[in-house]
Amino acid sequence: MTAFIEYLLTGVARGLVFALLAMGFVFIYRVTRVVNFAQGAFAIFGGLMTYSLLRAGVPQGVSEFVAIAASALIGLLFGVITIIGEVPLLASLVITIGLSILSEAVAMLIWGTTPLTYSGLEGKDFIIFGAFIQRQYLLVLIASLAVFVGLAFVFQKTYFGKAMTACASNPYAARLSGINVKRMGLIAFMLGGALGGLAGVLVTPLSPITYDADVSLAITGFAAAIVGGLVSPGLAVVGGLVFGLAEQFVAGYWSPANETAVALALLIVLLLWQSRRLRLEGGVE
Amino acid sequence: MTGSLRQKIPVFAIVFVALAMLLIPLVLSTPNLQIYVAIGLSTIVVTGLSLLMGFAGQVSLGQAAFYGIGAYTSAILSLHGVPTLLALLLAPIFSGILALIIGIPLLRLRGHALAFGTLAVQLIFLALIPQTAKWSGGSIGLSALPQLTIGSFSFTDGRDYAFLVWVVMVIALILARNISRSRPGRGLRAMAVSVSGASATGVEVERYKLKDFAFSAALAGIAGGIYAFFIGYISPDAFPVLLSIEFVIMVVVGGIGTVSGAFVGAALVTIISQVLTALGTSPSLPPQLPTVLSLGVYALVLIAILRLLPTGLIGGVLKLWNRGKRIAPSQHGSRERLLAAESSGTVSAVQADTGSASPTPEDGSVLGESVS
Repeated sequence: MTAFIEYLLTGVARGLVFALLAMGFVFIYRVTRVVNFAQGAFAIFGGLMTYSLLRAGVPQGVSEFVAIAASALIGLLFGVITIIGEVPLLASLVITIGLSILSEAVAMLIWGTTPLTYSGLEGKDFIIFGAFIQRQYLLVLIASLAVFVGLAFVFQKTYFGKAMTACASNPYAARLSGINVKRMGLIAFMLGGALGGLAGVLVTPLSPITYDADVSLAITGFAAAIVGGLVSPGLAVVGGLVFGLAEQFVAGYWSPANETAVALALLIVLLLWQSRRLRLEGGVE
Repeated sequence: MTGSLRQKIPVFAIVFVALAMLLIPLVLSTPNLQIYVAIGLSTIVVTGLSLLMGFAGQVSLGQAAFYGIGAYTSAILSLHGVPTLLALLLAPIFSGILALIIGIPLLRLRGHALAFGTLAVQLIFLALIPQTAKWSGGSIGLSALPQLTIGSFSFTDGRDYAFLVWVVMVIALILARNISRSRPGRGLRAMAVSVSGASATGVEVERYKLKDFAFSAALAGIAGGIYAFFIGYISPDAFPVLLSIEFVIMVVVGGIGTVSGAFVGAALVTIISQVLTALGTSPSLPPQLPTVLSLGVYALVLIAILRLLPTGLIGGVLKLWNRGKRIAPSQHGSRERLLAAESSGTVSAVQADTGSASPTPEDGSVLGESVS
């Protein structure tokens, strides 16, 4: 029972991190129709920049904030490279693949190949039903829930959020009503960058990251986003939780060696399920 | 795109290059023969991937997995007493069937799910090898493969393999050319411009995409099979995700969807990677430098070509060549025109929304799906 509680709570926390990445995919895809393969790179930069800032003596809190802001700027830069001008969708996707490996090269050049980490929220572990839970998990929970609530508010209540949704559902009509769709696309990339950066900042204290961790983060984030057909932020959170829990339970009860294979097999099952659903709805895009 | 390129490159030039390629192995030294075989094998893989990207408008990030599955199929079968020629021929069949199985669901999804699905296949492939060590040799790999024999002829040295690779490469290129000119090929090209338009005129979009994907995987499979016999030793390290990305880069460098570009892209990228490895490997330099160099150069080449020369190198050179002959809209001109259209905010929006053709398909051979 103790082990079960531990896997459950850590699974939820890791799932929320995946959900942040998945929401980045969703926001960018909704507005620009680009599947941003470099989504994991934001997390790498977010985590590794926080590491360097903390080592340079910048206080905790400020370091994290600066790293997330910098990730948002990297997102903006990636957006400019990917969508400004007339770029066909296939080319956009391949450009983001290029940006992903470029990020790996830069991260390797700056931070090397050893896994890096920093201590997150200090303090004694929580004991919940006999399971020891690090305080950082609490931070993950609070930070990501705050972000989800904040985004829900922005998208439902503010003009900006509604304009963003308008771009997602009908770019042509949005443009006719005076919304700059390209600019919205760039903002979506910034948002994706910030969400990815936050995911990296939160996950690095839990599991050390290396320059090449972006591919596995990106693929899990994408898998979670697929649960909502790449367009629903709410279902992306559900997807993230599914993957976080599956990962922890497989690693805990079976073997950590099977963790990746199971997660990827789950992705393929999800893709199958989604394609079946699409066929039933008669929609082929 | 392809249509215009095909007409611009005369047939005799292609035959000339092919014959020259046939004669080159006679004069090459052993290390250069290895590079020759590497280029040939990459060309075979890239030919299929280029068709997939150009015609089906899809990216596969798992070509190295199909290549690896081909290699493991040939290696495991031949180590268990299956005649080597049969083991080699089963490699493309296995890879192709696997592509069919995963392609059916993946190709129906929006948002380039194939790219991530195939990447997942690659990662599963790499994760499964250590788990199936009894058959696959785990992370140590499989060695002491028997020599490939066809009839009474044994392939022993690099030159034999160079000729074998040449033959398979020519067959692959001819097949790809025929496919691109056949009814499915025309259908796929129509599809790359507009999925809804193509399906409205009776193109069986899904089936063509699927066949295209299976064909690309089969080509990767046969190349992998030849690789296994050529090297005589395989391990999972030979099939990293980066190799899949390298194949994509070769396609982009050569020109997406162009059959002749496959060879140019494969040759250039293989040579670049040889040079980078030579440059970066030196005892005085940090050990991770070769990786940083190759990742960085690959990324910059990929992004620069897609942003500046979307028709690939051959397309770009042909465009410069033609510019001297007739007044054609230059790369810059068309870009400015597109930017103007973009800022006026009407043309591209209307076109994107109605799912009609990209305004200048001959300028950007990389055609996207329609946005709907």
